[in-house]
Amino acid sequence: MTEATDFMLNNKVGPVIKTGEIADAVIEAVREDNPGKTFVIEDNLAYVRIQTDGECIIRRETMEAILGRPFNMQELGVVLASFAGQIESESTHFRFYLTRTL
Amino acid sequence: MAFLNRADWYDLARATNWSPRYVSEDQLFPPEMSDRFGLSLEQWEAYDEPFKISYREYVDVQSRKDADAYSVRAALARSNFYDNADAGWQSILKLHFGALCLTEYSAVPGESKMARFGKAPGMRNMATFGALDEMRHTQIQLYFAHEFVSKSRQFDLAQKLLSTNSWAAIATRSAMDDTILGRDAATLSIMLTFALEQGFTNLQFLGLAADAARAGDFSFSNLISSVQTDEARHSQIGGATLKVLIANGKKEEAQRAVDISFWRQWRLFFTLTGPAIDYLTPLAHRDKSFKEFIQEFIVAQFERALVDLGLERPWYWDFFLKSIEFYHHSGHLEIWFVRQTVWWNPAAGVSAAERAWLEAKYPGWNAKWGRLWDVIADNVRHGRTDKLYPKTLPMLCNICGLSVGSIPHEGHSNRGYWTEFGMRRYYFCSEPCQWIFNLEPLRYQDHKSVIDRLLCGDIQPPDIEGTLRYFDLMPGERGEDAHDYAWAWPELALDPAAERPSQEAA
Repeated sequence: MTEATDFMLNNKVGPVIKTGEIADAVIEAVREDNPGKTFVIEDNLAYVRIQTDGECIIRRETMEAILGRPFNMQELGVVLASFAGQIESESTHFRFYLTRTL
Repeated sequence: MAFLNRADWYDLARATNWSPRYVSEDQLFPPEMSDRFGLSLEQWEAYDEPFKISYREYVDVQSRKDADAYSVRAALARSNFYDNADAGWQSILKLHFGALCLTEYSAVPGESKMARFGKAPGMRNMATFGALDEMRHTQIQLYFAHEFVSKSRQFDLAQKLLSTNSWAAIATRSAMDDTILGRDAATLSIMLTFALEQGFTNLQFLGLAADAARAGDFSFSNLISSVQTDEARHSQIGGATLKVLIANGKKEEAQRAVDISFWRQWRLFFTLTGPAIDYLTPLAHRDKSFKEFIQEFIVAQFERALVDLGLERPWYWDFFLKSIEFYHHSGHLEIWFVRQTVWWNPAAGVSAAERAWLEAKYPGWNAKWGRLWDVIADNVRHGRTDKLYPKTLPMLCNICGLSVGSIPHEGHSNRGYWTEFGMRRYYFCSEPCQWIFNLEPLRYQDHKSVIDRLLCGDIQPPDIEGTLRYFDLMPGERGEDAHDYAWAWPELALDPAAERPSQEAA
């Protein structure tokens, strides 16, 4: 079961988003909103998995700057199909996080 | 018009608990409907739903989702994708819509129960949206399925299946009733939204969406991933329940609810999604195996969230990890063999190239299941049609209603689990199913498996035709081999349409 244990012992968090304009913008936004963190982007054609360790923040103002238009954070809900970690959903930002580090 | 930020008014607006004066708290929220854990309204005040949304936002977001799904479908309606799709893919559509359209509808009373009887205002609020979500899933998937009714009568099962006595319908109803109708709002928030929707629905609605996109079925891919965006929100109802329960010393009870539901849903989902991803999806469009999707969504993601919320892995976790390697391979072979009893045409999915893929993804596949398919292929080539169908029904579990499967070849590791209770003996597929029964035998004692119904004389005549009629599966609906056995001739594997050699005499 070494293989499965490798999957279990992770601290990955982040959104799983239907591919498209918003997904592309989020990929850009997370790099800006989470300075110094390394992201792994896995494109599965129907969805993109965006992951980093511990905490991942997406801010409304960053999304607006990238998209060049007003952005309500709930618009993320149109394409947010799943996510790793726990979620905090505010009008100003979405945050994915874990409370314990393995 | 300027709006306040939701965070500035949301907590106040959804603070809808009050102190009842004309009835007691238990009359307003009967424990059997609201909360078997026995927490007070005050204790539930700590409930904080993490994925918040207002009604205005909900309507806006949902209308965008529908506009997106329906417009993609409209744009692709004339592409004739279905007519040109591989028979295996056509079967995935039949399987999906039959198994899920009305199962989604069975979740509406669950969300509604939480919306009325949940003791936490936040739960009631989110579950109101959850009930609307599940109605949307029912309606939109029935609408998409209806497009294909003129193509095959098997699509009728999208409307029909759940009200039949098919083995699949009995298994599904039993699991959903145990999760929803037979539970209080607090327990069902864990069993339905956390254990099912935060976990296994990802396999069918995202894993399969990835395969659908590769297969070029963008309409279906877009539809099911759109459904999962609703699940991503309302599945958060249960996590918030877990936090309240753990904070109030109910960790053990909460853990039990997770362990029961996770296992029941796993039994359903390996049967539904496993064969679809590893056998029915045309090889050229496959990327990840079913096992890899489980590792992604269940092991790395769901299990991690479970631990982060303060719970433990289910007690049978090691066996669960082992079962990922074999349950759906044995299940697929079984379903193919009893294909008359299902409403899609199972693709064997064992041509030479497909076997190589299976062996690479599941080392040892050939030595276990490949050997059995060799015998079936040999029977096909020699025209021994009587050996291509079962003479009897498989042994079914008294909890999950599914076949008692195991790993073939390895000394045939199958073993029985049973419990004597009341006047009879109950049989189970596995230790977890037996554990579920033993926890509350009174809850399950009257449920009859298909085998029980056969032995009790409910199914008449007690033969295959009588059973198929009992399942309400009529000629034209019953499954056949998707590729008319072309896979049994290895030299034809790459071109199923080519003329095959005449069958050798048996």
